[in-house]
Amino acid sequence: MKEHDDIMGQVRESFSGLCMDMPVEQVFAAGRVRRRRRLSGLTAAVAATAGAVAAMTLTAGGPGPARPGNPPAPSPGSVQLAAFTVTSGPGDDNTTLILRKGPQYRLDPSALRQALAKHGIPALVTVGTFCRTKSGETASSGQLKHPPAKLADGADALVISSHDVPPGTRLSIGYFPNQIRMALIKDGAPLSCSSTFQQPAARITPAGTPIRVGKKANDIRMPGAVG
Amino acid sequence: MGHEQDEFADFYRASRDPCLRAVTAVVGDRELAEEQVAEAFTRAWMSWGKVRRHTAPQAWVVRTALNFGVSWWRRRRREVPLADHDAAAPAATNGGVDPALITALRRLPARQREVLALRVFLDLDTETTAKVIGIASGTVTAHLARAVAALRRDLPSANTNATEVIR
Repeated sequence: MKEHDDIMGQVRESFSGLCMDMPVEQVFAAGRVRRRRRLSGLTAAVAATAGAVAAMTLTAGGPGPARPGNPPAPSPGSVQLAAFTVTSGPGDDNTTLILRKGPQYRLDPSALRQALAKHGIPALVTVGTFCRTKSGETASSGQLKHPPAKLADGADALVISSHDVPPGTRLSIGYFPNQIRMALIKDGAPLSCSSTFQQPAARITPAGTPIRVGKKANDIRMPGAVG
Repeated sequence: MGHEQDEFADFYRASRDPCLRAVTAVVGDRELAEEQVAEAFTRAWMSWGKVRRHTAPQAWVVRTALNFGVSWWRRRRREVPLADHDAAAPAATNGGVDPALITALRRLPARQREVLALRVFLDLDTETTAKVIGIASGTVTAHLARAVAALRRDLPSANTNATEVIR
């Protein structure tokens, strides 16, 4: 390496006047600023994670604490949990829908419809009312293969196979405070909807627009009907 | 924190000039090098617990500065120049370094410049240089030999010196 010494020495010598004037305090200051930024980023990330966890809880609708009897109504501003969970499985073709009832749960019909749609299940989700194909226009099966099962926490679990909802049909879900109704309905067929399971209240045209029938029907509200 | 700060301050004072010279030799622009070295020292301070245990902390700073420069150029390359005034200004005085040497260094391939800078300014041996850059020792030797040969060819003063040595 001695043979390189002259050139290396010349290079070293040539750069010898080059000095860095920045004081070390400036490095410390830059480090402090960066740490603060990281911290605030971390705080934001923690907040975002907390938000995401809350959102997941809302979406997942995790089981609430066991409440014997009728649970008290939530106080204004209290957190309400999403009333449904949609997951893939068991098996390849199945989707599991879990629906929970109670004042602590809030069902966003549009969100449930979209969640089911993502799993390839077209659905009509209504809250406080239930829609079926009018008599004589029953969907091919009309009934789901697997009826909803009761879970330990009182939630209804329904395993839906992709074959359960044949082309030209949709799953109608009526969500009531104390009960959930489900049936297959025919696409495009007139629907009969009722705020109680027994009493037809309104018809829904093939386009999904409810037609109020009779005076009584005018009193029937169909909050959150989404098709 | 106080002890770490003192330790880093000592390291910084001892390393800032050699690191700046090494990076300037590679990038060929003092101002740019200063910016990159400042960033690298900030990162070194942020990760001082790790950097202090490095085989060659000064080399870590130089490599970080050069990598930062690469990403800086990549970012800049994606930007669209607005007009002539956006063009890079010609390099400033470069701290009194012989412009012919800067030009000769710029003609070298980047890897040769880096090897030369680590060997000359940080006094790293072949093995450590190889480890820091992530190449074989033989490759370091070859790069250095080529770089020195090119500089000897390009620098008139080097030829003079060489002649004097031969005499």
